[in-house]
Amino acid sequence: MLWQLYTSLRTPDALLGGLAAIGRGWTLANYGQILSSDPPFWRYLLNSTLVGVGTTLLTLLLAIPCAYALQRRGGLQRQLVDGALLVAAAFPSVLLFLALLQLARQFGLANNLLALCLPYAGLSLPLAVLLLEAAFAELPRELEESALLEGFGLWQRLRWILVPLLGPAVASTAVLVFLFSWNEFPIALTWLSRSELLTLAPAMARIAGSSVFSVPYGAFAAATVLGSVPLLLLLLVFQRPIVAGLTQGAIKG
Amino acid sequence: MTVSSTISSTTTSAATALQLEGISRRIGARTILEDLDLTVSPGECLALLGPSGCGKSSTLRLISGLDSPDSGRILLGERDITALPPARRQVAMVFQSYALYPHLSVARNLSLGMEIRGVDAATIARDLDAVLELLQLGELRQRRPADLSGGQRQRVALARALLRRPQVFLLDEPMSNLDAQLREELRPQLRAILCGGGAPVVYVTHDQQEAMGIADRIAVLDAGRLQQCGTARELYHRPATLFVAQFIGRPQINVLQEPDGSLLAVRPEHLHAVREGGLQVRVVSREWQGASQQLQLDTARGPLRWVCDGGRTIGDAVRIAWEPQHEHRFAAGGRRLTP
Repeated sequence: MLWQLYTSLRTPDALLGGLAAIGRGWTLANYGQILSSDPPFWRYLLNSTLVGVGTTLLTLLLAIPCAYALQRRGGLQRQLVDGALLVAAAFPSVLLFLALLQLARQFGLANNLLALCLPYAGLSLPLAVLLLEAAFAELPRELEESALLEGFGLWQRLRWILVPLLGPAVASTAVLVFLFSWNEFPIALTWLSRSELLTLAPAMARIAGSSVFSVPYGAFAAATVLGSVPLLLLLLVFQRPIVAGLTQGAIKG
Repeated sequence: MTVSSTISSTTTSAATALQLEGISRRIGARTILEDLDLTVSPGECLALLGPSGCGKSSTLRLISGLDSPDSGRILLGERDITALPPARRQVAMVFQSYALYPHLSVARNLSLGMEIRGVDAATIARDLDAVLELLQLGELRQRRPADLSGGQRQRVALARALLRRPQVFLLDEPMSNLDAQLREELRPQLRAILCGGGAPVVYVTHDQQEAMGIADRIAVLDAGRLQQCGTARELYHRPATLFVAQFIGRPQINVLQEPDGSLLAVRPEHLHAVREGGLQVRVVSREWQGASQQLQLDTARGPLRWVCDGGRTIGDAVRIAWEPQHEHRFAAGGRRLTP
C-alpha cells in the first residue's frame, strides 16, 4: 500500500530515475489524470459499491436461514451438505466464467449491475453458509429453547435472539463477501461492456492497458490507492465487531 | 402475598392439574424413561429427585414439549397436550443455566416475551414493575445478565417464568449454580413465590435436602423408573425400595445382609448405645459437626454409620442396638418386604 502511495505521487521519469531522483518529480498529476477521465473515477467506485452492497445483502439473506436450518438439523444430511459446500467454496471460481457468460447471454443479464450480484452471491454463498453455521453452533441451545417456550415463532427467534447474537460473525462474513465482490475481475469484465457501468477491477485494467507505449505506473497506482480507500474505511468501521467475533466465547446463557 | 397473586396464574387461568400417563422415551438402545406415571395437583410442588442420568431433566423436557415421548400421554387439566408444540403449551421453564438473553437488559429480557405474545404496553409496564418489586430486582433493570451475580440471574429467570403466567412451572436444578449458603436463603423464598399460585410446579434436583425443603411431594427416579412418589415423611419412614431408602436420609442408611438373603436396613440416627446385649462395635473414625457427630463403626456384621448427639463422649468400644420398628427389610432385588 505504501509503495502504491509513493508510486502514485511520482512522475514517470522520477520513477525510473532511482534513488537520486528522490528530491524532485513529486506530482499530483496522476490523480488528476485518474479523476478527470471519462467517465469519472468516482463512477467506478459507486458501481463497485452498489454491486458490493447488493451482493452482501443477497448473500446474507439466503445464508442466514440456510445456515440455521442446516445447523439445527444435524446428522448425515448436514454432513453431506457441508461437504458439498466445502468443495464448492474451494473450487476455483474463475473456471466458471465462460459458463456464466453463456448464462448472461441467454437471460440478458449483461450490462446490468444488479444482475451481477447474482453470480457473486452464488459464489459467496458456500463460504458464507459454512461460516454462519459455525456461528450458530456457538449459540447455546437453551437460549433458543427458552425463547420457544416463551412463545417466539421461528422468525421471531431469528430476529430478536439469534441474529443479534451473531453480530460479529455476520459482520466478518459480510466484509468477506464485500471484499470478494469488490475485487472480482473475470465475471465483471465479461458481463459489463459499457464504460459507465464498469466496476473497479475491469476499469483499472483498462487504465493499465490504455497506452501501447508504456505502462502508466503512476496512474495505475493512483487508481489503486483511491480504490482501496473505501475498503479501508469499511474495515475501520467494522473492526470492532470483527475482532469481537474472532475472540468470541463470552456468550454464556 | 398480594403482589405474588397478581402475577400468579389464578387470576388469568383456572388452576389445572398435570398428569403423566405411561410416559416412555428411548434413545437408540438406551431407555431414558420407562412407563412413568405422575400426577401434580394445582398449586402443588412436586420434586423429581434422583442421581445424574435418572431421567428427571428428560421428564421436564417432555412436559415442556421440547422432546416428544415415544409412548404415553401428558394431560394438563382436561387437555391432552402430548402433541402440542412447546410454544402453545403455556409452560414456563427455568433452566439450569437460566438462559437469559445476553444482549438485552434485565427489563427487556422480561418484557420481550410479553411483547411477542401481544400483551398491551400498559399491562407490560404494570406487571414488570410488580415482578421486579417482588423479587427485589428494581435497581437491576438496565443491567445486562453478564453484570449480574448468580443469585440475581436466578431471580431474573424466575421473574421471566412468572410473567409467562404459565399453567405449569418447570424448574431444572435452578439452585445448582449457587453456593450452599445462598441456597439455604433462597429456598423458603422460592417456595413462597412459586407454590402459592394455582399452577403445579415440577422441580428437578439431585439434592434431597432441597427436595424435602421445597416440595410437597417427592418422586424418586432411578434409571428412568419411578421408585416412589410421596411426601418426604413417607419416603423417610416407609421407603418402597432399597434405592429410596439409600437415597433419602443423610448420612446414608446402613444396609446389612441377612442369612436368608434379604437385606436389613437401619438409619444411622436410629442406633443407640446399650450397656448389654446389642452388637459389639469398634469406633473407626468420628466427625464432630456441632449439634451432632457422625461415627464410622466396625462390627461383626459389617461397617455401620452412627449419628448421635454432639455433646456425648463415646469410648472406642461400645455396644449398639436399635428398635425393631426402625428396621426396614428389603428383598435382594430391592423391593420392600415388611408391611
